[in-house]
Amino acid sequence: MADRRRINGPPGGTRPPVFASLQESSTDIANRAQRQRQPTELRKIFLKAGLIPTASGSSYLEFEPSASLAAARSNPKSLIPPSSALKLACTVHGPKPLPRSAAFSPNLVLTTHVKYAPFAARKRKGHIRDASERDLGVHLETALRGAIIAERWPKSGLDITLTIIEAEDDRWWGDAPDSHDASWGMMNVLAGCITAASAAIADAHIDCLDLVSGGVAALVSDDSSQSASSAPRLMLDIDPAEHRSILSACVVAYMPARDEITELWLKGDSSRAALDRNDGRTGHEALIDGAVDAARGANTVLAEAVRESIARSFA
Amino acid sequence: MTSSTTPINPTPPSLSLPPSQFARLQPHAYLLAHLSPPPASNQPSVRANGRATSQFRVTSANAGSLTHTNGSAVVRIGDTAAVCGVRAEILHTKDIASWSVLQASSEQNLDKSNDVGVSETHDEEDRGHIQDLNLLVPNLSLSTGCAPGFTPGAPPSALAQSLSHQILSLLHSTRLVRADDLRIWYQPPNLDSEEFRNAGEGMDVDTEQSEGSEREIKAFWVLYIDVMIISLAGNPFDAAWASVLAALRDTKLPKAWWDADNETILCSDNVADARKLSLRGLPIASSFCSFEGDAAAGWRAVVIPDAEEQKQKKGAQQRWILADPDGYEEGLSQERASVVVDKENGKTVIVKMEKHGGWTVDSDDLRQLVDVSARRWDEMKRILDQC
Repeated sequence: MADRRRINGPPGGTRPPVFASLQESSTDIANRAQRQRQPTELRKIFLKAGLIPTASGSSYLEFEPSASLAAARSNPKSLIPPSSALKLACTVHGPKPLPRSAAFSPNLVLTTHVKYAPFAARKRKGHIRDASERDLGVHLETALRGAIIAERWPKSGLDITLTIIEAEDDRWWGDAPDSHDASWGMMNVLAGCITAASAAIADAHIDCLDLVSGGVAALVSDDSSQSASSAPRLMLDIDPAEHRSILSACVVAYMPARDEITELWLKGDSSRAALDRNDGRTGHEALIDGAVDAARGANTVLAEAVRESIARSFA
Repeated sequence: MTSSTTPINPTPPSLSLPPSQFARLQPHAYLLAHLSPPPASNQPSVRANGRATSQFRVTSANAGSLTHTNGSAVVRIGDTAAVCGVRAEILHTKDIASWSVLQASSEQNLDKSNDVGVSETHDEEDRGHIQDLNLLVPNLSLSTGCAPGFTPGAPPSALAQSLSHQILSLLHSTRLVRADDLRIWYQPPNLDSEEFRNAGEGMDVDTEQSEGSEREIKAFWVLYIDVMIISLAGNPFDAAWASVLAALRDTKLPKAWWDADNETILCSDNVADARKLSLRGLPIASSFCSFEGDAAAGWRAVVIPDAEEQKQKKGAQQRWILADPDGYEEGLSQERASVVVDKENGKTVIVKMEKHGGWTVDSDDLRQLVDVSARRWDEMKRILDQC
């Protein structure tokens, strides 16, 4: 049963540390991370392409830490981090000939691997890819397949590998013990993966229709009063640790030049969105529009990073 | 010959090759031409990457940038980059199947050794706990797309397994981490003294015995040390080990105590209560490879008895020991040497020495390599102290 190719820990298993403060009172409002940004304000993205010379294309992406995380880093008080910011590295190998045993393909065969580092999330991840990581890989593949002009490389393969060094939280840590909602952090990770992979593909000089970038929007209800009248509001580029409850979230992979969405992933109940009276859109339409806006924002960073890497390769 | 000699006559462009293509087509000749320039040209012998033979690549280290770790570090040596994260988890002694046996045997040892000298057995017990209970769990991953050869999603390659094991054995043999730091103690409440005493107050064996009330180990910290090689351009071991070292230096363990009511271990999330690991020494790894001008020379000496004399007649140095090889140089050499040194009070101590794959590096060379490694130690100490 034990993985013989890796060094395993104690056979009896270990337990993550339990913090005493968590047991005493889990509703410490003062400690709770709060969103300091405007609903339509995006986080800054650090994106650099072409860092890994052994790969044909590569990129590194980092999200700006939230206000609470930045404060906790500069002046640490608690060992429990308030939130975390996405950090990931992407490499592209190829186009390379498919193995002889592979069936003939008139198109470029795309393979995507998304793997969390064991220390990426609040809960230690295993070394073998789990279902959620495979799911992310499939989502990423559909997002990229729509952008790459695959007919130009028959009988070839392209390997895209993403290593998540630090993932986004699914919720605020204080809510974690008694929460059963979906893993919202995954959606942010997917958006980051799409943007980073797009930069790496451009860095590998693979022909694409356009640069495809990822964006997230969500319907959140933050009111502590929990009154029935508080309708959920639309927010762009959420950090799940900053919100009390997320009702619905949406990721898109978007190509601005063609105004085309190559991947859409919407989760949760979007019917109760609070929109303007004269806004005729339904909840999910507003959510998708919001995600597209976020993706447009990411695209400006992406275009700049790609321009930089191209300039370097011709210099 | 070398890349710098350009043809004087305007030859047809099809016959002249740019250096990068020459490097790919004739890698051995390319590196050899760099290392042995013609004596007339007055050029120094440099490697194809512009370094001198005993020069290491530019190294940088950065610690503590990952949120969900107890300690983390990023080390870049040239184009090789390693990210290391240390996560601490708790191993309860009741989850250890052989705990009662282990404890009984260690007490016996203590009784026997009371007249031999406490410090020695203390060290021995240190090693026993960390090694027997697998308290240090290093794993290295190369399947991050760091180099074309490693397929992501596949089980760890032979190289990754061997590197993980080398890190583990070096952690054990250097006894870098103290078992005392990883123990979580419990003092049963004494009615007339203060209620609880926690770990880290007094580790002395003697005081424990004289007090009478037995202090017991309730749990251990287990350190999961995971190294992701983000970019691989040769010499992964030095980068991985440096990142492990930097991450362990950055590691902070929360204060933990046995909560008798809940029968579990609780931790304090207060940063002021947390303490750093106190590591033993600072072992620094330096790797070398030997590039042979004539790869079959060593074998010829065996097969042809007078080959050695012929070689001496030529008088040419036919091999170079290259420090911190990059991926290109690693592909061209068979023989590897790795030296791990530490310095105690200015004195160099060899912690580990490894050499395999050939026989051109002799004992004089190894002595020189230790000197080079000692210089590297100073440099790495400066870099690690800054991060």
